[in-house]
Amino acid sequence: MMLARFFGWLARDLRAAFSLGFLLLLALLAVAAPWIAPHSPIEQNFDMILAQAEPGYPLGTDDLGRDVLSRLIHGAAITLYASFLAVGVAVLIGVPVGLLAGYVGGWVDDVISRVIDALLSFPAIVLAIAVTGALGIGMTNAMISVGIVFSPQLARIVRARTLVVRHELYVDAARCFGAGTGRILWRHVLPNTVQPVIVQVTLLLAAALLAEASLSFLGLGIQPPDPSWGAMLARAYQSMEIAPAQMYPPGLAILLTALAFNTLGESLRAALDPTMKT
Amino acid sequence: MSILTASRLRVARRRLIHAVPVLVLATFIVFGILKLMPGDIAITLAGENATEERIAEIRQNYGLDRPFLVQYGSWLWNAVQGDLSRSLASGEEVAVQIARSFPITLLIVVMAMGFALVFGIPLGILAASRPDSLVDRVVTSIGSLGIAVPNFWLAMIFVSWFALEFGWFPATGSVPLTQDPGQAIWHAFLPALALASGGMSEVSRQLRSSLVEVMSSPQVRTLHAKGLTPAAILWKHGLKNVSVNLLTVTSLLFNRMLAATVVVEAVFAIPGMGSLIVNAALFRDLPVAQGVVFVMVLVVISVNLVTDLLYTVLDPRIR
Amino acid sequence: MTSRKKSDLRLPFAPMTRREWLMMMGAGTAAALLPGAVFAQGEPRRGGVLRVSGFANPSSLDPATGGAGSDHTYLWTIYDTLVEWDYKTLEPRPGIAQWKFSDPTTMVLTISPNVLFHDDTACDAEAVKFNLDRGRGDDRSNIKADLSSIDSVEVTGPLEVTVRLTRPDSALPAILSDRAGMMVSPTAAGKLGDEHDRKGVGAGPWKLVEWADNQNITVTRHEKYWRDDRGFVDGIEFSIMPERATGLRSVVAGQNDLAYQLPPRLKPLIDRSKDVELVTGPTLYCRQIYLNLSRGPLQDVRVRQAMNFAIDREAFVKVAQSGFGEPAHMNLPSSHWAYDPEVAKLYPHDPDKARALLAEAGFKDGFDLTIGGYTDADSVRRGEILMDQLGKIGIRLRFTNGTVAEISAQYFGQEKKFDSLVSAWTGRPDPAMSYGLMYAKDAYFNAGRVEVSAELTELLAKSRESEDMAVRKEIFSRLQRIVMEQALVVPIAFDAEMTAISKKVVGYRPNLIGKPKYEFVSLAS
Repeated sequence: MMLARFFGWLARDLRAAFSLGFLLLLALLAVAAPWIAPHSPIEQNFDMILAQAEPGYPLGTDDLGRDVLSRLIHGAAITLYASFLAVGVAVLIGVPVGLLAGYVGGWVDDVISRVIDALLSFPAIVLAIAVTGALGIGMTNAMISVGIVFSPQLARIVRARTLVVRHELYVDAARCFGAGTGRILWRHVLPNTVQPVIVQVTLLLAAALLAEASLSFLGLGIQPPDPSWGAMLARAYQSMEIAPAQMYPPGLAILLTALAFNTLGESLRAALDPTMKT
Repeated sequence: MSILTASRLRVARRRLIHAVPVLVLATFIVFGILKLMPGDIAITLAGENATEERIAEIRQNYGLDRPFLVQYGSWLWNAVQGDLSRSLASGEEVAVQIARSFPITLLIVVMAMGFALVFGIPLGILAASRPDSLVDRVVTSIGSLGIAVPNFWLAMIFVSWFALEFGWFPATGSVPLTQDPGQAIWHAFLPALALASGGMSEVSRQLRSSLVEVMSSPQVRTLHAKGLTPAAILWKHGLKNVSVNLLTVTSLLFNRMLAATVVVEAVFAIPGMGSLIVNAALFRDLPVAQGVVFVMVLVVISVNLVTDLLYTVLDPRIR
Repeated sequence: MTSRKKSDLRLPFAPMTRREWLMMMGAGTAAALLPGAVFAQGEPRRGGVLRVSGFANPSSLDPATGGAGSDHTYLWTIYDTLVEWDYKTLEPRPGIAQWKFSDPTTMVLTISPNVLFHDDTACDAEAVKFNLDRGRGDDRSNIKADLSSIDSVEVTGPLEVTVRLTRPDSALPAILSDRAGMMVSPTAAGKLGDEHDRKGVGAGPWKLVEWADNQNITVTRHEKYWRDDRGFVDGIEFSIMPERATGLRSVVAGQNDLAYQLPPRLKPLIDRSKDVELVTGPTLYCRQIYLNLSRGPLQDVRVRQAMNFAIDREAFVKVAQSGFGEPAHMNLPSSHWAYDPEVAKLYPHDPDKARALLAEAGFKDGFDLTIGGYTDADSVRRGEILMDQLGKIGIRLRFTNGTVAEISAQYFGQEKKFDSLVSAWTGRPDPAMSYGLMYAKDAYFNAGRVEVSAELTELLAKSRESEDMAVRKEIFSRLQRIVMEQALVVPIAFDAEMTAISKKVVGYRPNLIGKPKYEFVSLAS
């Protein structure tokens, strides 16, 4: 039944279908990278530094003679993993905090809201840099810090929804019947926050992607010699005058993937928004 | 009627009071995180001929070994009196550094906002005038593209083509506005353009949706039935409603762009607030990092406050 | 204006033998850059403002309180030193003062007359004493360790200072060509206190006008400078641009006249531009892998030797440095007065031998080595090359990258987070300083705090005893042999200085320290 509705929606919303298709293809590429990529992403070849596209190397080679296409494919896996990690952390932190703030209210809500305001009031990337520094440099830590930085946004949305749902009739009814707070949260409040959370998650995936690229560009994040699209972009910046073509493959990859996430998110929002349902 | 009515002043005062804990919290968070990071600036300061004793000496001289809260407390005490202390790395006063780099970033952000509005508004109107048509879809797609594109990639492309290849714009650096306005704007052009891509999309999208909403409302249909041209309707009725949304978007954009300039500044080697705080965070230059956060939060709060007050001017129904 | 053909300065992309390199350097330098040759037709033109793309923000413009190797190029415009050196070999020469050892523990400095600071006060014996005492004792002085052999400083004449030492220290003259020898005006230091960091007053060819953090430093002619055979430009404007590619672009675009410390990969850009020329020369800047000798596999000398055999230095120079610079077989480059070519033969590139040594030491299947590195793109690239080379003999490098400050602190400081560190040694005026700071038992830069051999310790002390250059050279040969036979470090390559200058710039000469000096530069009209 749900599945039918799902496919029906896809059939109607072509953009969502394309985005989802693209992302699934990307995931497939990421998983199959070791078999699909024509060369090793870390094998250096000093005779072919910054070479143009040629047979066997359709996208050319980078500044250590490594195949750009292979790095791009392997980079997909790392980049996608990074985005999901960050968003996962954001959900893990943001949803409970938002529920807490919205449901309990009172001074707990006040304190949490202040902290959220404070976190949201200065540049995300600075916070990410600082937290990365505190946790130690590395892809995992960098994305955890991005997740921490994103969690306030999610918390805010969950809190807003919780505030609304809290006063719904069925919640009051449940409380009258003696249901515990935890049970209420789990069975009644949480399911009603799922929809905006899903939408926000897809949008955050795009943002996490861009955040990873930015952090890698600044030199934090991915550690050598693993490729990530952001790190490839950073290297391309260094060789900008000599081999300007280098910046297009990773940049386009980031652009298309972010676009896919965003489009999916927007379509989900349109589909799930109750005011637009017929 | 005076702009500064009593009620508005009350709102302002209430907002400012609420802002204080946010300010303290933000700087405390930054301080806490930077303190959590391993290492401190003492080793950098000791430099090339470092010895263990010298490093310990430096820590003592700069008070880096005092208890956590004492260090933060003393910084806060000075900050509220207007003394943002000095950079640990170079000794220059933090206030001076901020006073120098903030206008640079501000110029870029303001120009980026300008681009966003100049391109976004016409696009939004265009899309709204023919909802669900091909034009509408094209504009929406451009919008999606604008949001998804990484700012610094766009910046790299601009540098590669417009600066290096064609030589129309400088590839690097900035010039203070007070020194030479023409040069300043010329240097800030490409960075601002790179920054504006997301903003342009947001503006056009918001404008489109709020315009469509307004145009299909009963009041407008009545006016239309009475024979007013769409342009006149838009002017008299639409603009006021739309302006509130536009204001919201603008203030949101400003805050977001302030954050996004960081990486763009890196591409263009522009010594603005972005690079200031990134370097401070990387080098554990606590006074600079906290000073910048302090100022940035102040700016964001002020922008929000002005926005809220402008709401009440534009639409007296909002209180 | 003399025409300097680019072909004189252009170096081939392919790696060269050391002999070819030296010949090139001789030809290049002689043909173009000695003041005598260039100014054959007359005095260098006075005037004009030299615009330089600076590399890093200074840590301080007071020589005693700063600590970064990138400061010197700014400091040398403001401060003259007691002792100077030959640009090519670093042999010490008199600067503001002449020195003489009346006995091994007594050094007499005779100061030139008529040396005036920027604030019109005299740089006389009192001023010199003030500076040396300040360097030794001030709370904020970073150079105490450099002057640790000094027991007392006495004014023995209006222009004469007698320095008594606790032990012989023949490295002291060279030390006085560095920060410790940069003379600061006592009046200014007294009046400005800590502010002097930002408003340094010295006796150099130019005086400080302005320093805006991370933006620019401006210096202007010191009208009463004590020598008239240097300091030809009216002023120098440094624009601070840490991104070197950006710095080069500014010279190509005509916004600046000179950009230094350029990475070799940018050479094609310099070639492409008709108005910009490349000046290059050897430096002391040694890229190396620091080893913590107290860690696991690194305790075994065979492992360390294996690492030295595994590195293909020639390939590294070719790829990472575009053929510029030279392979490093020890911590001194081939043009240094204390270089020993015999030590250079110890470790040819031999992966098979490396694997054999590892197997002998019990690591047939290799091992993991944690290593710190920096996050800038060039460092990452170098790290990847090393990963590849060491990976081929089974040593798997596990990188943790961070900022210079963070990683250095974590490696050298108390945390001792990594087994090794890939970084550089910027070089010191005297080899005794370098070897002492890196290999002495309690030296800060000896992460493992290990005393390798009593002989090493003894030689370090002896290297400072005699003033005789020949004797010292012999001692340094033995020192370097011990360091390399014990493989206390893995030296990889020396950087070449890469400086881009516009056609207006005349008389710029590179020096072996690798930190640019502008005293002989003039600007063509």
